[in-house]
Amino acid sequence: MELNYKQFFEVMPAYLTILDRDLRIMEGNQRFRKDFGEFEGRYCYEINRHRAERCEHCPAERTFRDGLRHGIEEQFRNLFGQEVSLIVYTTPIRNEAGEITAVMKMATEITELKLLQNQIREGRERYRQLFEEVPCYITIQDPDLRIIEANRQFREDFGEVLGSKCYQAYMHRSEACVPCAVKQTFQDGQVHQVEEVVTSRDGQQVNVLVYTAPIRDAGGQIKSVMEMSTNITQIRELQSQLASVGLVISSISHGIKGLLTSLDGGSYLVNSGLEKNSRERIKQGWQMVERNVARIKTMVLDLLYYAKDREPNLDWIPAHSVAEEVLGLLRGKAKEYGVDFHWEFDPAAGDVAADAKAIRSLLVNLVENALDACRVDKKKSTHQIRVGLKGYPDFVEYEIYDNGIGMDQETRERAFSLFFSSKAGDGTGLGLFISNKIVQAHGGEIRLESELNKGTRVTVRLPRKGPASRPASSKTS
Amino acid sequence: MTSQKKILIVDDEEDILTYLSALLEDNGYDTLLARDGEEARKQVETSLPDLITLDISMPEKSGIKFYRDMKADDQWKKIPVIIVTGISEDFKKFISTRQQVPPPEGYLSKPINPEEILALIKKFTA
Repeated sequence: MELNYKQFFEVMPAYLTILDRDLRIMEGNQRFRKDFGEFEGRYCYEINRHRAERCEHCPAERTFRDGLRHGIEEQFRNLFGQEVSLIVYTTPIRNEAGEITAVMKMATEITELKLLQNQIREGRERYRQLFEEVPCYITIQDPDLRIIEANRQFREDFGEVLGSKCYQAYMHRSEACVPCAVKQTFQDGQVHQVEEVVTSRDGQQVNVLVYTAPIRDAGGQIKSVMEMSTNITQIRELQSQLASVGLVISSISHGIKGLLTSLDGGSYLVNSGLEKNSRERIKQGWQMVERNVARIKTMVLDLLYYAKDREPNLDWIPAHSVAEEVLGLLRGKAKEYGVDFHWEFDPAAGDVAADAKAIRSLLVNLVENALDACRVDKKKSTHQIRVGLKGYPDFVEYEIYDNGIGMDQETRERAFSLFFSSKAGDGTGLGLFISNKIVQAHGGEIRLESELNKGTRVTVRLPRKGPASRPASSKTS
Repeated sequence: MTSQKKILIVDDEEDILTYLSALLEDNGYDTLLARDGEEARKQVETSLPDLITLDISMPEKSGIKFYRDMKADDQWKKIPVIIVTGISEDFKKFISTRQQVPPPEGYLSKPINPEEILALIKKFTA
């Protein structure tokens, strides 16, 4: 029987040694002798670690001390100078009286396993680094749209949002977006793309291009979805500049066609006047030519004015006159829509340094928005719009209130973005964007307060003396 | 002596009214003028023109609203209409494919070719 144990000890595919209390190697199996050589009278730390002193964390010592089994991961250096990674276990050997007389140390080589582990760790680290440092927003979401991982850029711009729902962190909404690209990917396992305007934690509007992709487990089931968003705000800003130019071009092309027709008319009258020898007709035709040449001049100047990102053509204008003009224009439309139109103008509002044409466009746009908000609201029997004007020492304030359909938070936050419209096919997504630009160009401030199904209040403050150095901004609440 | 054909010119641009009325009168037509859709409606009611040249973008009542109302009226719907406008060519497609109203007899883009408008008027008042 003892022979059997001895054989077993010898052929074990691990390094087996028996140590005395001084950590001298009393016995070593075949494999140990082959890789670590003769051990007679030598200490284990000499043989295993090529050191002159005991190791700091010696499992054999601990086993001598407490009589328990201990395990540790160690590196030995063999006879051939190779570093070998091992898992070492020590176990006590007791005499008949139960006293620990020796410790058996079994070391199993894990060098290849260790290498594999290192490779996996390095690979994971590389992916982690890529995930963290890639210059876009990445989140991993569960089927409830809960963010279970987010990369560094996302955390920096949207805060520590692990555990939050995607639409809460990204959109400040209480309900999921419709349609939701992440949900679609969960359903069909396909990559989906969508463009969104999201709000960072410091309130900045960010245009993002979103891609979603499934993350599957070993069984092919979709356990989570990765959402990757690229910030395309700069591209959108560039597009907005191009769109402004496009808008101006299309609006003036109509005017140019009219001017050309009138010039043709002038030329026709001059020529036919010459044929008929009618001095009166020649005069009429020539006046028409002169008048239209002057109109072309004005139009070219307008074009240059718009092309320069709407630098306002400032003049001292009575603040109430522009508002009255706008009311005159839109009163008929309000009647058509069955909306009560009220206005209250501070008679002492005074003059403001502004571009009358731009402010007129701004107010027309805001009042038309209010009319549309009332028109589409089917939940109330009566609708009202109130337009107010107040004068303060340093600024004038226009206020347009309606009790129409109102806006949810997402709509409020995106209201000033280019190409965003809540009016389905009726909106261009340009109105409030351009309104904001006009207010900015005047150094003013536009504020939007709105609640879904209750109504909207837009307040525009224009500095009385025109744009100074102070920055302009838009606010929503 | 045959009575001259009456052409109603509808446009908010005074210069274009002057131009077209001179051109048409020089070519043997009587002209009536209207500066928006509402004035045009009154002229149709009182004078029953033989043809209408109609601008689209006008203040108060637009050309399109006037056109729609006119084509819905049994008494007036047979009056030929030539739309003369500076708005985009897309509008031509739009107005020509509307199910609710019949397409106009003619469509001309500004600036106008005098021979072209005279040929169209002649065709529809013959």
